[in-house]
Amino acid sequence: MLERWKIPLLLSPALLLIAGLFLGGLFLGLIGSLGYMPLLGREELNLDAYRNILFSTGFYQSFLLTFYISLMSTIIASALAIGAALILRRHFIGRSVINFLFQLNLTVPHLVGAVGILYLFSQSGFFARLAFEFRLISGPSDFPAMIYDPLAIGIILQYVWKEVPFIGMILLANMQTFGHDYEAVSRTLGANRWQSFRFVLLPLLSPGLLAAALIVFAFTFGAYEIPALLGQSYPAALPVLAYQSFTDVDLNARPEALAMAMIIALLSAVMIFGYARLARRYMRS
Amino acid sequence: MLMQTNRHTENSRDGLSGPVWFSLILLVSWLVLPLIPLAIWSVSRSWYFPDIIPSAFSLRAWNYVFSNTSDVLPALGVTTLIALCATLLSVIIGLPAGRALGLYQFRGKALVELLILAPTIVPGIAVALGLHVVFLSLGLAGSYLGVLIVHLIPTLPYMVLVMAGVFANYNPDTEAQARSLGASAIQTFFYVTLPAILPGLLIGSLFTFLVSWSQYILTLLIGGGRVVTLPLLLFNFASAGRNDITGAISMIYILPGVVLLLLGARHLTGRSRAVESLRQI
Amino acid sequence: MTDVSLEKLTKAYPGQTRPAVNDVSMHIDGGSLTALLGPSACGKSTILKMIAGLLPPTSGDIRFARQSVLQLPPNRRDAVMVFQNHLLFPYMTVGENIGFGLKMRHEPKKDIDRAVGRMLELVQLEDMGTRKPNQLSGGQQQRVALARALILRPKILLLDEPFSNLDANLRLEMQQLLNSLHQELGTTMLFVTHDKEEAVGLSSKIALILNGTLRQYASATVLYGQPKDEDVARFFGARNFVPGKCGPGYFDCALGRFTLPESVSSTGRLLTFRPENIVVGGDNILENSFHATLASKQFLGSQTVLGLQKGDIFFEALLSPQIAEPLQEGSTVSVHLPQRSLWILG
Repeated sequence: MLERWKIPLLLSPALLLIAGLFLGGLFLGLIGSLGYMPLLGREELNLDAYRNILFSTGFYQSFLLTFYISLMSTIIASALAIGAALILRRHFIGRSVINFLFQLNLTVPHLVGAVGILYLFSQSGFFARLAFEFRLISGPSDFPAMIYDPLAIGIILQYVWKEVPFIGMILLANMQTFGHDYEAVSRTLGANRWQSFRFVLLPLLSPGLLAAALIVFAFTFGAYEIPALLGQSYPAALPVLAYQSFTDVDLNARPEALAMAMIIALLSAVMIFGYARLARRYMRS
Repeated sequence: MLMQTNRHTENSRDGLSGPVWFSLILLVSWLVLPLIPLAIWSVSRSWYFPDIIPSAFSLRAWNYVFSNTSDVLPALGVTTLIALCATLLSVIIGLPAGRALGLYQFRGKALVELLILAPTIVPGIAVALGLHVVFLSLGLAGSYLGVLIVHLIPTLPYMVLVMAGVFANYNPDTEAQARSLGASAIQTFFYVTLPAILPGLLIGSLFTFLVSWSQYILTLLIGGGRVVTLPLLLFNFASAGRNDITGAISMIYILPGVVLLLLGARHLTGRSRAVESLRQI
Repeated sequence: MTDVSLEKLTKAYPGQTRPAVNDVSMHIDGGSLTALLGPSACGKSTILKMIAGLLPPTSGDIRFARQSVLQLPPNRRDAVMVFQNHLLFPYMTVGENIGFGLKMRHEPKKDIDRAVGRMLELVQLEDMGTRKPNQLSGGQQQRVALARALILRPKILLLDEPFSNLDANLRLEMQQLLNSLHQELGTTMLFVTHDKEEAVGLSSKIALILNGTLRQYASATVLYGQPKDEDVARFFGARNFVPGKCGPGYFDCALGRFTLPESVSSTGRLLTFRPENIVVGGDNILENSFHATLASKQFLGSQTVLGLQKGDIFFEALLSPQIAEPLQEGSTVSVHLPQRSLWILG
């Protein structure tokens, strides 16, 4: 009898807490986004908040900007990570030093990276000074805007900076499990180096790569502090817009903030679904 | 010996060509580069455009950081305390769940795993905005306890996943063996189970500490500006343009992560689960 | 049919005192089925990888049909390798796996499909083309790996412990399949194994590799009956070694004087004779006979091992249990070493 209750007993504290905080938070956000605010005496549910944001150009601009930032960051970081992993799995002199430096920013918080990017790429930053030194520009305003800019270059640079080691380490771990033999056998079967990468290594890595890319996409779509520090004020990234609406003095903006939070949650739910499917396929093969 | 042969296979690709070295150095410099101006700023007195290096150095920022009048030391204390408590709670609550997930197969396991995985992927802002109202009415908003509780959203699932991985490589028969040799349940835990899982538990705890240490938006939303942790202070000084103090705080803020990396780099290499969970930082 | 020559082939890894492969020279006849035999980590797989082009040798040369192939990358050597663990690409179907090499050559899809169909038949997996590799049994997977290699009609097929992950029955089946494929296709085949029974059963010639060096390259009967030195003899199960001195046509040792067959050189210092060739308990005193004490007797089911002693010399004999039955432990028995069973080591 004890055995029967063992697993639920072991699991329940953690599950209750996670369900209470996480699912509870999502649920409260959902009913809040539907206009349920008992503190203000509003207890009817309606879709006003969703209607409001879906009819405002500000929301669309923020959504598209955020989507664009996430997509670009994920694609660029993935491509660089593949290249880096291909080099780092080889044996060469100085590999352990390079490996350490490659992993260094894995444990550096995003915010620190964002400040670093700010000091490097702002119009009075390090690169602007270098450009001035070499007489490429005549003053700070000549330096192309990469911070607070419409193309969000600074934000993308920060995400790429942070995610290349992350995706790269996952790919390296995957490469270690596969070893070199699959590629070796393909080489003896007549595949050249490129074919061996394209038809053997890349398909082997793709579940892990896709899973990592999904995580990165979901993270960059919902991160607040990086666009808050490096992004322009209008249109702002979606999490920034959501936070601004939430802290607005006009309490009517709160349901809209929660509606945006729900949209971020929905998008990451899609990513989790994809991730879970990939993980399961990965386990089976 | 077989392993050795494999390693030699790789060894045969010894040496990188010039262009490959160049791009590798370029990439790694790019990864380290953003940290350098922060370090330099922390010891600069004046560093105005267009100077490539500061025109005057001083320890002014560091003096400020460690002075009694600044908010930095209290913030450091609060950040550390919250991270320690979040880690401890995550261990106590997460260890049993990790054991269940790592050792047993049961109905609904996939669903449980999904529930535990989800908070590590869904951005904190999506959850915390909804929680805010309830925390407010419970008097938890703006309190240390509230921030600690909300930090459990990312730290607890992380600990559960790490411990599930540790227990997946653990043989529970050793416990049965200890019991049959006369050990009590508590003795078995301290003399058999704990030593076996300790390395994984320690590394997992260090990373859990770092997960809490790195939280920004959860602290901002639930702390409401009354709970000031290092990242909040860092953000404020950065937006206020106090680059020297920002640099000094950054150096303090990245310290635990770098130390941890020095301690645990080998544990990261080759373990995608460990790396994947670092997404929280 | 392509013959393969290895010329002073050496592979040294940095930081290791002894080369993994040391000065190996051998000639493999075109169309033959040859075994590289040796214990694990003796360097035999390294040799195979160098032939395939997956590892560059430190020095020496590899020639296919007298042409050096060292400059050719693996994909242009026409030497296909089959690995111990089948290494089928998990995300491709069985058919796609088999057609992989042809696809790399950009052959038309129609031709590839036809060739894949033929190969599936050849390895008796007609209906499995659309399955994924993980839906097949171990033996089927290894057959697909064979088909994936053979579809290219390679000049040389290299097999690295191809059957050692299979259970005994399957291994026998696969060995028969390989044998029939070899006879049908006439490809030069070189396979690596640590199992001397497998090497003996499959190949026409065996190269014994110990510690990275080629110790003897000969047919199985020669390796068993006329090993070059004590290590080779021990690897093939010889256990009786008696030191002594050679004279013209005879060998003197503590067991007595033995007349040697004419084919045996009379220069070595060590006499060896296989346990299974000893005659124990005969009545007539023949040439090359002596008396010894039966020290121990162990019944092994199909055979009985006798431990025999004369003076300080201890040696073993293998007898059929029926013949060994009446012999008493502790008794004195007559022992006969037939002339043809004697061999002198250097």
